[in-house]
Amino acid sequence: MDAISTVNRENLIIQKDSGLSIMEKLEILSDSAKYDVACTSSGVERKGDGTGIGNTVSAGICHSFATDGRCISLLKVLFTNECIYDCKYCINRKSNDVRRTSFTPQEICDLTIEFYRRNYIEGLFLSSGIINNPNYTSELIYEALYKLRYEYRFQGYIHVKTIPGTDPVLVEKLGYLADRMSINLELPTAEGLKRLAPNKHRKTILTPMRQIQNGINNNKNELAVYNHASQFVPAGQSTQVIVGATPETDYEIINVAENLYQKFDLKRVFYSAFVKVNEDKELPALAGGPPLLREHRLYQADWLLRFYGFQAKELLSEERPNFNILLDPKCDWALRHLELFPVEINRADYQILLRIPGIGVKSAKRIIRARRSSKVEFEDLKKMGVVLKRALYFITCNGKMMYNTKIEEDYITRNLLNVKEKLPFDVNGVTYRQLSLFDDKTFTESQPVAEVVGEDEMERIQKKIIRVS
Amino acid sequence: MGTILLCEDSLEGIFTGIYKAYERKENHTECKLQAGEIENYQLFAEYVRVQREEELAKKVSRTICRDLGMEAYLCICQAIATEDKNKADAVYHTVVEGINCFKQSTISKNSSCSTFQFYGIMGNLTNPYVQKVFELSRSAGNEIMRMKEILRFRELENGILFAKIGPKCNVLSFIAPHFADRLPLENFVIYDHLRHLFVVHPAKQDWFIVTGEHFDKEITERFSEKEKEYEALFTHFCHTIAIRERKNLNLQRQMLPLRFRDYMVEF
Repeated sequence: MDAISTVNRENLIIQKDSGLSIMEKLEILSDSAKYDVACTSSGVERKGDGTGIGNTVSAGICHSFATDGRCISLLKVLFTNECIYDCKYCINRKSNDVRRTSFTPQEICDLTIEFYRRNYIEGLFLSSGIINNPNYTSELIYEALYKLRYEYRFQGYIHVKTIPGTDPVLVEKLGYLADRMSINLELPTAEGLKRLAPNKHRKTILTPMRQIQNGINNNKNELAVYNHASQFVPAGQSTQVIVGATPETDYEIINVAENLYQKFDLKRVFYSAFVKVNEDKELPALAGGPPLLREHRLYQADWLLRFYGFQAKELLSEERPNFNILLDPKCDWALRHLELFPVEINRADYQILLRIPGIGVKSAKRIIRARRSSKVEFEDLKKMGVVLKRALYFITCNGKMMYNTKIEEDYITRNLLNVKEKLPFDVNGVTYRQLSLFDDKTFTESQPVAEVVGEDEMERIQKKIIRVS
Repeated sequence: MGTILLCEDSLEGIFTGIYKAYERKENHTECKLQAGEIENYQLFAEYVRVQREEELAKKVSRTICRDLGMEAYLCICQAIATEDKNKADAVYHTVVEGINCFKQSTISKNSSCSTFQFYGIMGNLTNPYVQKVFELSRSAGNEIMRMKEILRFRELENGILFAKIGPKCNVLSFIAPHFADRLPLENFVIYDHLRHLFVVHPAKQDWFIVTGEHFDKEITERFSEKEKEYEALFTHFCHTIAIRERKNLNLQRQMLPLRFRDYMVEF
């Protein structure tokens, strides 16, 4: 159990892949970590103590965005992509023939510190395949984090994955070094897990989740909090479920999420549209690419659960188990509850304001504050950030509606559909575009070709190439 | 008609202007405050130029902190950091409104205005001046947040971390504390090349702003050996972390507008 005992084993790992440069290792180990979607650095505010490097900001900071539009906030890497498990959806499954390598704790520290001081990242996200056994892997992770926290005095954000099956003592020790811990539920139901991840069990996932929850609670209830005592997982824990690999409905998934929020006090549940990286008869064929729209709707519903006071059973039911493709869950709910509308902006309480499509948490709070000093009009709403083109069907200001609109389901639905919803991708979930040789124009290792030859010339060349091919 | 006070385009300048406006004891609705130079003179207005005075500015900033609260003070400072032409007037009338409400709330604790002090002037979003200050401070706040995200330090040959930024508004004094707290043991310099301002942070000491200095451009273009290595590593990391099946350049551009990319090593 003692982390110090791993020192000798570390040498073993180095010998195994001594041929790989740090660049190659980073490539392999970040490439395999990319399917983990949690890349947030939020949830804890901590000033630096002046002796080392780093602080954290409670809102989190996204330092860059990758070509898939997802944020880059943490150095997201695996400790190792060796794995003794054979989960069917995972690129690192035992039976896959991929290049395997491991970082050493020293390499992890160097990368984190050097990236951090250049303001590339907010901290470290460390996950891992399972090498030898869960305890052995966790000890290696512990060693890296210990070195980072105590030798380098790193006070930035650390998110660490709990390896299912790790000894509770080790989980606790990790909890005092990390800001956030997460353990992936992977699949929404126990049956799905059994089918696709035969080596993982619901129990080995939920037990540490419960342990971390209890640890956080106990830490909060400590009577004497010492000034410099390290906190246990101060940014809370999160989890991830894969969407679209197994046949669960949205209703089931959102219920699981609600349960996790209520019973395990999770900070976040992440949804990851299934990306098919392995060929396996158990895995579904995804003709249209990853189910991005479905993932998007789940996130929208997730926000409604966490910040808008909605319950899963209000959004979906056994009879209507999936989200509307055309309307977001909140509009969808409002259209089914027209008897509650229109709502008077100058009188309705906060919880009611939150239920109006086009009004979010911030604008609802601003309305409440502003109407203490004077009556709020439609023009003011716009300035406060209310999306009027969506809200106008559901509200009155001082007894008047904005336009002469009807409170009628068909009428409002038709009008809302005309207001194009801002989706992060095309409606069918994929962006179709011409394949070209210069696809990765935005990230270039050396000087971009476009810069050398000029944009116009570049376009001409591209056209030529397409014509030729 | 009315008076237009012309003040210097800076926090101290605008605060001095507000002091002078009060000193005139005129009706505040007749009075306007203008920072910087005027583009178009009004025929019947009386123009008065105000020299900045540190003492008066300090008095005004104390009053704002005390009567309007820290939230309003921060919003006002952020609004002044923007390049908007009407910012001085919006700030001036917000302060007038805030002080009026504050006086009312202290006169009659039971009046409808009594809740005012607790919630602060910045909640009064139906007032057009407050609205303007709110809008400006929000846009400055966003720019400050952006700079904390996209600023990239590069290690020079002499070991100093150097970052160049070109923000829409003057954010230096807002981002400096963040980086000073984050990197207490580093010598770093942040350079706003649009305004020719520097933040200098010597290791283990307080940061300060330098204006009007010339500097040797060549030194800031000679990077350490390790610098190139880590830039390459990070650029490569940005490549491999993207999921090919989810590629979406529109979303990337929406999240990270092109104007920032010139300052980022990975692009």
